Amino acid sequence: MLAFVVRRIVTTIPVMAFVALFVFSLLYIAPGDPAAIIAGDQASPADVERIRASLGLDRPYLVRFAEWSFRVIQGDLGTSIFTNLPVTQLIAQRIEPTLSLMVLTLIFAVVIAVPMGVVAAWKAGSWVDKAAMGFAVLGFSVPVFVVGYLLAYLFALKLDWLPVQGYTPISQGFWPWLRNLILPTVTLGLVYVALIARITRATMLDVLQQDYVRTAQAKGVAQKDVLFLHSLKNAAVPIVTIIGIGIALLIGGAVVTESVFAIPGLGRLTVDAILRRDYPVIQGVVLMFSLVYVLVNLLIDLTYTLVDPRIRY
Amino acid sequence: MDRRTFLKSATGAGMAAATGGLAMPALAQSPSKTLRFVPQANLANFDPIWGTQYVVRNAAALVWDTLYGIDSKFQPQRQMVEAEEVSSDGLNWTFKLRSGLKFHDGTPVTSKDVVASLVRWSARDPMGLMLRAIQVELAPVDELTWKWSLKQPFPKMLLALAKNNAPCSFVMPERIAKTDPFTQITEYIGSGPMKFLQKEWVPGAKAVFEKFADYKPRSEKADWLAGGKNILVDRVEWVIMPDPATAAAALQNGEVDWWETPLADLVPVLKGHKDINVDIGDPLGNVGAFRMNHLFPPFNNVKVRQAVLTAMNQEDYMRAVVGDDDKLWKPLPGFFTPGTPLYTEEGGEILKKRNVAEAKKLLAEAGYKGEPVVCVVAQDMAATKSMGDVTAELLKSIGMNVDFVATDWGTVGSRRAQKTPPGQGGWSMFHTWHAGADCINPAAYTAIRANGDKAWFGWPDVPAVETEVTNWFNAKDLAEEKAAMGRLNKAAVENVVFAPTGFYLGYQAWRKNVTGVVSGPLPFFWDVKKD
Repeated sequence: MLAFVVRRIVTTIPVMAFVALFVFSLLYIAPGDPAAIIAGDQASPADVERIRASLGLDRPYLVRFAEWSFRVIQGDLGTSIFTNLPVTQLIAQRIEPTLSLMVLTLIFAVVIAVPMGVVAAWKAGSWVDKAAMGFAVLGFSVPVFVVGYLLAYLFALKLDWLPVQGYTPISQGFWPWLRNLILPTVTLGLVYVALIARITRATMLDVLQQDYVRTAQAKGVAQKDVLFLHSLKNAAVPIVTIIGIGIALLIGGAVVTESVFAIPGLGRLTVDAILRRDYPVIQGVVLMFSLVYVLVNLLIDLTYTLVDPRIRY
Repeated sequence: MDRRTFLKSATGAGMAAATGGLAMPALAQSPSKTLRFVPQANLANFDPIWGTQYVVRNAAALVWDTLYGIDSKFQPQRQMVEAEEVSSDGLNWTFKLRSGLKFHDGTPVTSKDVVASLVRWSARDPMGLMLRAIQVELAPVDELTWKWSLKQPFPKMLLALAKNNAPCSFVMPERIAKTDPFTQITEYIGSGPMKFLQKEWVPGAKAVFEKFADYKPRSEKADWLAGGKNILVDRVEWVIMPDPATAAAALQNGEVDWWETPLADLVPVLKGHKDINVDIGDPLGNVGAFRMNHLFPPFNNVKVRQAVLTAMNQEDYMRAVVGDDDKLWKPLPGFFTPGTPLYTEEGGEILKKRNVAEAKKLLAEAGYKGEPVVCVVAQDMAATKSMGDVTAELLKSIGMNVDFVATDWGTVGSRRAQKTPPGQGGWSMFHTWHAGADCINPAAYTAIRANGDKAWFGWPDVPAVETEVTNWFNAKDLAEEKAAMGRLNKAAVENVVFAPTGFYLGYQAWRKNVTGVVSGPLPFFWDVKKD
């Protein structure tokens, strides 16, 4: 197991190196010029050139890549072209809201979706199944921003139960923190609920046909135990896999959700950086998201050993 | 720990690790005397000389004071300056600061700070560069006095120091002002009415300003950037909201107090809300525009440019930008901001009536052979996207071959600087707009200049325009200024320096418990009170 973990961590290095090269190259060839944005509309071409030079953007590709790579290896993601703040500081400022949103969404989605999928499989073909799967289709189909606006309109504007926007750090209290995150969590979580519920149902349908399930039922084991102890445990590997894959979905969805609810998270940082061509920030954030994704996949692989003791590395 | 125990404890531990211990500035707190303001854009940097975006200028006006301030009659008024004197030949200016002015770090404002600030400003500002070109000496005389000696008179000196166009001549401490003008400052210390709380700044989310207790406002009533800048709240929080619908909802819900630029589509909802006031934001509005590349065919031929202008109907553009609200737009048969003292329509007849047949005739006379018009349109800006769509139809209607390039503003920003032919990475036309405050006269109106290679993108070369710009700068009275402006407008229309698509305004909205909000070229926070 330890050897597996070490091997996986070591293989992360070339993956990250490739991501770094890819992101840097992509930004190099992408159109757009941060110097022109900084200089503003009144600036002369000479001003723009001088700003470009002061930012080091006029230097050759290889020189810039080598310098950036050297700094990244040392843990320095560079300095934002626009804010003049270290990228690590910008990420640190934004990580709590995004992490909070993603963790809450994960909990919300798993708590809702897994029982929904199990019950839908158990009652396959019934109105319960149809309602659950109808909800899942809806969750997939309705864009995140539409759900967000509808929820904000109902629960913030009409009922005045929850705030429309913003984020309160957890250090200022659990309820203020949670209050700001309820609507974004439900908004972002719906598509994830749909995904997990459908996979859970499909996997459970297969497991419920197995002989050992029939045996358990024949022995008179309570239905909930058959479903949640015997069947769900054996269906867990694909479900855990889809939860892991869904992290990418969450990262993408967080960008939209954070914009709709004005949450100062990493998603908005990324979008702002892309629109302004703030290369160091884009590179830093993408690199960080890639690392997170690689580590989540590693974690999922390790989780297999916890949900299925037959799996050994 | 066995597998089951791990599973039971993992969720709770993960949650605690994820959210516990990570401290960051408060983003939703609301002390009673805090004014929460949604600005037009993100405050991504905070050096008003290095970056000239209007949002930076607007925030900077809170933190850094100016020597003079422009008032609502477009007159420069003393602000930090107590008195000035100019020699009879107009070559030597002597200025004296008001006494007792302090920076936010407690140090007094001196003439050394002013001189260093003017040196930095004049390296970036168009009027500052003109002053540099004729400067003999800029130096402190004593603690509060400094002298600016010139080789030739510069009648617009006070306007240069008072103007609200970016970059404004903000006064910074000498140690900060000595930063290279092309390098961003890292310390935000001014002598303005509010302090910038750098530790609470989360770019893209929030910027916070705190009342500066030692600020010494002038005794006159505040009038735009002139007069007493009395701050009546403890804090001003800028809450960045990229989504207009969210900003509208937050204003209705009382989560923010003032929204600088509501989207026209959402204004009816805000107007119908019992707790919200809606009024024109900036009375100087914006001048919509598209620029044609004077270097390459087909727009290197003045007749082709005139053909496009002849076929234009500004109402089409303005309806596309602001919708059906007639209060929000005006036709603009010229280049200068309507309602301002020097406004002129001289020579603007071609823009008053659409004539497609005449446009086609001009195009034929020009020998247009179907060369593609590379029309670069930023889709992420509502105004440019709307105008771009109208232009594409306009060009097709007179038989031009349109190569429509839909892209984002960041790409337009770099592509428009390319002087390569349109088919080789260059461009034929792009859409933009100019703040009306920049278009009241030629002082900060870079877009009207037609000095060829040194001109703004499109590089028009029209000596007649440049002659009149010089005449305006040298004008000794209002009558001379008006005459020069009339001739300038005529020459710019005849040669189609660029195509003005109309004049449009925008609204601002604020909660009714907020009073003192005025219309102006930037949001003025002085005299704004929150009950």
